[in-house]
Amino acid sequence: MVAKGIERSEPGAPARAWVFAVSAWAVPGLGHFVQKRWTRGLLLGGVVWGMFVAGLLLGGHLFKMGGGDQGLSGLLQLLPMSANFGAGLLYIFCWLTNTGFAEQAQRVTYEYGNTFLLVAGLLNYLAMLDAFDIAAGRKE
Amino acid sequence: MRHVLWMALFAALTGIVFGGVAKGTDRQKLMYGLKVFGEFLAIAFILGWILYFIPLR
Repeated sequence: MVAKGIERSEPGAPARAWVFAVSAWAVPGLGHFVQKRWTRGLLLGGVVWGMFVAGLLLGGHLFKMGGGDQGLSGLLQLLPMSANFGAGLLYIFCWLTNTGFAEQAQRVTYEYGNTFLLVAGLLNYLAMLDAFDIAAGRKE
Repeated sequence: MRHVLWMALFAALTGIVFGGVAKGTDRQKLMYGLKVFGEFLAIAFILGWILYFIPLR
């Protein structure tokens, strides 16, 4: 009787949905391209790439854990780093080449650059979930 | 003026993604993206004018 009122949970997402989600995170737009969603991939990927590059050009800086932070103050970097990390391989490439981690607070557009970099990563998380939902059949 | 342009660019790009991942028809997505864009701009202008009248210095 009770069980009748409980909706059955959806079957698990196929493994390829996870692969597409990871590819969408790694290279913005790729998760949609591999599913032949050309327009959506171009739009979402283009925005993330554009915002990331614009953020760097505006003088924004990327966040990372560690460095010279004392005690627990390093944890303050965790949230913005998580946002930056959403840009996938773009962030990892910058981390490997030590690009974009220097503060340029003297520049007028410094805060804009930071915001663009943070939001580029966050938007890519959204695009990643979108690619996952499409592959899992939850979205057209 | 340049600040307004950067803000408008930010709002436009964010609106594109929000509209792009939204559910519904293409028209509904477009309208949602435009709504997000407009809301970003409106809130920024309202906050800007509120801060203008607050003596922070």
